[in-house]
Amino acid sequence: MLQIDHLYKNYGKFQAVRDLTLHIPQGDLFGFVGPNGAGKTTTIRMVCGLMLPSAGNIRINGVDALTHRKDIKKQIGYVPDFFGVYDNLKVKEYMDFYGSMYRMHSREIEKISDDLLELVNLSDKKEVFVDTLSRGMKQRLCVARALIHNPALLVLDEPNSGLDPRARVEMKELLLNLRSMGKTIVISSHILSELSEMCNSIGIMDHGNLVAAGRIEDVMEHVFGNNQLIITLEEGREMALRIVSEYAGVKINTAGEHEIRLTHRLTKQEIAKMIGVMIEHDVVVTGFHKQEGDLETLFMRVTEGDAGTEGDAGTEGDAGTEGDAGTEGDAGTGGDAGTGSNNIVGSSPAAGNNAAWKGEEENAVKSHS
Amino acid sequence: MRLNPIVKKDVKVQSRSMKICFGVFAYELILALVFFFAMFLIQENSVYSISNIYSELVVLYPVLAITQFAILGVIVPVRTASAISGERERQTFDIMMTTGMTPFSVITGKVMTAIVQSMLFIAASLPIMALSFVVGGMSWSYLFWFFAIALLISLFSASIGILCSSICKKSVSAVIMSYGFYLIFFVATVLPVVLYEIYSVSGQYARSVVQSGQSYGENIYLLLLLNPAVYLAEFFTKIMTGESLVNEISDMTATTVKPGGPIRFVTEGHHWMIVSTILFLAVSFLFLWLSARRIDPVRKHANKQRRRKPA
Repeated sequence: MLQIDHLYKNYGKFQAVRDLTLHIPQGDLFGFVGPNGAGKTTTIRMVCGLMLPSAGNIRINGVDALTHRKDIKKQIGYVPDFFGVYDNLKVKEYMDFYGSMYRMHSREIEKISDDLLELVNLSDKKEVFVDTLSRGMKQRLCVARALIHNPALLVLDEPNSGLDPRARVEMKELLLNLRSMGKTIVISSHILSELSEMCNSIGIMDHGNLVAAGRIEDVMEHVFGNNQLIITLEEGREMALRIVSEYAGVKINTAGEHEIRLTHRLTKQEIAKMIGVMIEHDVVVTGFHKQEGDLETLFMRVTEGDAGTEGDAGTEGDAGTEGDAGTEGDAGTGGDAGTGSNNIVGSSPAAGNNAAWKGEEENAVKSHS
Repeated sequence: MRLNPIVKKDVKVQSRSMKICFGVFAYELILALVFFFAMFLIQENSVYSISNIYSELVVLYPVLAITQFAILGVIVPVRTASAISGERERQTFDIMMTTGMTPFSVITGKVMTAIVQSMLFIAASLPIMALSFVVGGMSWSYLFWFFAIALLISLFSASIGILCSSICKKSVSAVIMSYGFYLIFFVATVLPVVLYEIYSVSGQYARSVVQSGQSYGENIYLLLLLNPAVYLAEFFTKIMTGESLVNEISDMTATTVKPGGPIRFVTEGHHWMIVSTILFLAVSFLFLWLSARRIDPVRKHANKQRRRKPA
C-alpha cells in the first residue's frame, strides 16, 4: 500500500529524515511515534505531497507519489494536527467545498457527505456553522472531510492533540471503525496508550531514524523478549529459588519477598512442570505470568540514549535478535515488502551501526538502528 | 463550465459577513461625497465662468471613475494579500494543497474572488455613476469602457496582492509589500524619465542628438507603459477630448529631431492604450504564474535540489 524507500529530508546540513524505509500493507492502522523533532511530521508531509524529499521514493499502491501527484492526491486523505476553519461556513457547505475540490458532482458529494457525517456522528450538525463546533467535533469533521473522495490512505498527524478524554475516545472509535472498513491509516501521536489500543503496527522514529517498525506484538517481543516470567508467591521463597536454579537456561533477574522475576528458555510445559514442583514442595504460589511490555516502556527503551548515534536502541542484545550487525542492514529495500504478504518492513540505519532483527512469524519485522 | 470551488466558497463566506455591507456602504458614501464636492466646485466655478455649466458637468465622469479606481486599487490588494497568507494563518492551506486543486487553480480562485468583489462594488456604485451620465451627458460606451478598465485594474491589483501573499507568511507583511509594489509601478517607472529629462536639457546631449539626426533617448518613455497613472490619464484624455496625452512625447522633439525606436510606434493613434493594456495583462498573468509556483510545495527548482545526493 504505502512504500517508502530510502527517504531523506535535509534542511541544509540538518537531516530531518535519514534513509527511511517503511512498507505498510493495505488495511493496517499504523502508529507513527517518536519524540518531538523525530521527523514524523516531516515524513507525513512528504507522503502527502506537501514537501519534497531530498532523496528517496514514496509509492502508494504502486504509484510514484513524486511524479504522479494528481493521481496520488486522490488516494490520500490528510488530517493535520491543527484544524483551521472558515468563518460563516456550515458543516454541509464545508463538505461540499472539499468535495468540489476533488471535482465531484454535487449529488455525489451530498450522498457521500451524508454517510460520512453519520459515520463521524455529526449528522445532526449539518446546518451548524463549523466555527461553533467543539474541537472534538471539528476533528471528527476533518476526518470526514479527508474521506470525502474515498481515499485509500488516511494520514492523521496528531489528531488527538488538544482533545478532551471523551473526544479522544470518540476519535479512537472512529479510527477503529475505519480500520474495520479496510482503510489504511497512518496516525502519528504522542499518546502511546491510545496507539497501542488501536494500532496493529507501529513505527518508532528518533532523530530522523526509524528505530523500530512492525506489528506491535512483534516489536514488543523483540524488545522485551518472550521469555520473562514473573512468579508471585506467599511462602517458600528459598525453596522456589532453589527449584528455579535447578533448571538449565533459567536466569533469576530479581528475587523479591513475594516476587521472582526470571528470564528463561523453557517451553510452556516445562514452566508448568516447574510451577508444579514448587507447589509440591509447599511453595505457596499465588500466581505466575509472562512479563508484558507496554508501548510507553517500549518507546522509552527504544529511544533511550541517543539512538541515532549510540546504535544500541531497540536491540540491547535481547533474545529474539537475529543476524549480526550489518548483515541485514538493507532490510526493507523492496523484495519482500509490498508483495501482497502482510509484512511491514522498516529500516533506517544510523551512522556507524547496523543491527537487524527479524520476527519468526509471517509478520516479519525488520529494523536496524 | 465548472465554477472554481474557491470562488464559490469565498463569495458565500464573504457575503454572509457584515464586513461586505459596511464596505459597500463606505464605498457609496465616499463616492457620494466626491460627487457632491465635485458638483459644488463646478457650480462655484460657473459663477465666474462664461461657459455653460452642463459642459463642465462632463468632468463628473472621470472624477467618479478615478475615485473608484483609486478605491479598488487600495482594497483589492488588501483582499488578495491576505488570501494565501490568510489560509496559512488559518492553517487550512496544507489541506487545500492536498486536494485535487492545482496551485494555479487555487491562485486563480483567489484572484477571481477579489475581482467578483470589485465588480460588486462597481455594480453598487451604478446609481451614483448614473448621475454623472444623466447630468454629464455621457454615452453607454463610456460605461462599458469604465467596466473594462475596472476589470483590468482589479486583475492587476489582485495579481500584485496574491504574489505578495504567496511570498509573505503574514497577511500584514503581504499588504505592506503590495503597496511597495504599487510604489514601484507608480514611481519607479517615472523616475528614469525625470532623470532623462534633466540629462536631455544638458548641452552635451543636445549636440549628440543634432549630430545623429535621430533621438533614441525618448524610448525611456516606454517605461510609462507600465505606469497605471499614465494609463488612466491617457484613457480619460482620449475619452474626454479625443486627443492623446502621450502623442505629445513624439511632438516634443519633433521640431528638432525625430524620435527613433519603438517609441514612435506606441505613440501613434491608439497604440499606447493597446500596448499598455497588453503589458498590464501580461504582468498580471506573470504574477499569477509566479504565485502558483511559490505556493507549489514541490515546485520545479525543488526537484533539481532533490536530484542532489544527500550528505
